[in-house]
Amino acid sequence: MATATYPPPPPYYRLYKDYAQDPESAPEPPPPIEGTYMCFGGTYTTDDLLPSLEEQGVRQLYPKVPNIDFKKELRSLNRELQLHLLELADVLVERPSQYARRVEEISLIFKNLHHLLNSLRPHQARATLIHILELQIQRRKQAVEDIKRRREEVQRLLKESLGTLDGH
Amino acid sequence: MDVISQLQEQVNTIASIAFNTFGTLQRDAPSVRLSANYPEPPPNAAEDASSFAEQPKLMSAALVKAAKQFDALVAGIPLPEGGEEAQLKRISELQAENDAVGQELQKQLEAAEKELKLVQELFRQATDNCFNLKKPD
Repeated sequence: MATATYPPPPPYYRLYKDYAQDPESAPEPPPPIEGTYMCFGGTYTTDDLLPSLEEQGVRQLYPKVPNIDFKKELRSLNRELQLHLLELADVLVERPSQYARRVEEISLIFKNLHHLLNSLRPHQARATLIHILELQIQRRKQAVEDIKRRREEVQRLLKESLGTLDGH
Repeated sequence: MDVISQLQEQVNTIASIAFNTFGTLQRDAPSVRLSANYPEPPPNAAEDASSFAEQPKLMSAALVKAAKQFDALVAGIPLPEGGEEAQLKRISELQAENDAVGQELQKQLEAAEKELKLVQELFRQATDNCFNLKKPD
C-alpha cells in the first residue's frame, strides 16, 4: 500500500534564523489580502455581501427602497403566500395540468421571504455590536469605580496605621 | 434562538406543512368520476372516507396556525427607528466613549500600581528593620 508523506514545511523558516537576537533581520508577515483570492483551487472573496435577488435571477416582489419596512413586507409576503397556496389547491381541482406556474410563484415567494430575512442580519449584527459596546463601557466604568474605592481605602488604612504607630 | 433564526425556521415549517398537505391529499384522495364515459370508480371503505374528510381540515388548520405564528414572530422583531446611519453613528459614539473610559481605567490602574509598589517597599523596609532589630525613628 503506497502512502504519501506529508508535504514539507514552507522554506521561509530559514529567514528567521536570527530572529531571537535581531527581530529586524527577518521579513515582515505579508499584509492582509484584499479583494478575491484563490485557496485550494477555489475563489473566495473577502467582502461578504448578500447578493441581491436580481443577481441570482429571481424577481424581487417587495419594493426596492433604501429603508425597507421589514415587518410590513414580511406580513404582506406571508399573506400572498397563503393566497397562492389556496390558488394552487384550486388549480389542482379545476385544471390540474397547470400546476407548474403556481408552484413557481410559490417558490418565488419563499425565495423573497428568505432574502428579506437574510437582509435583516447586518442590522442584527450592528445591534449586537452596540449592545456589546454598551456592556463593555458599563464594565469598565464599574472597574474604575472599584479601583478608586480601593485606593481610598488604602489611603485611609495607611493614615490609620500611621496614627496608631505615632500614638504608640 | 434569536428572532430572525426563529422566523427562518417558521418559513421552512410553513413550506414543509404546505407540501405535506398537498402530497397527502394527492396520495390519499378517493377517485372522482370526471365524465360519463369513464367507468364508476371502485367504492372505498367507509372509515377511510371519514378519516380522509378530516385530513384537509386538520392540515389547513396547521397551515393557518403556522402562518399566524409567523405574523406573531414578525411583530416581535426589535427594529429601532433610524436605520443604518443612526446605528453607525451610535457605534462611533460608543467607541469614542469606550476609548475615553478605557484611558481613565488605564490611568487609575497605573496610579494604583504605583501606590502598591510604594506600600510594598515600605512594608519591606519595616520588616527589614524588624528583623535587624532597629529601633523605629
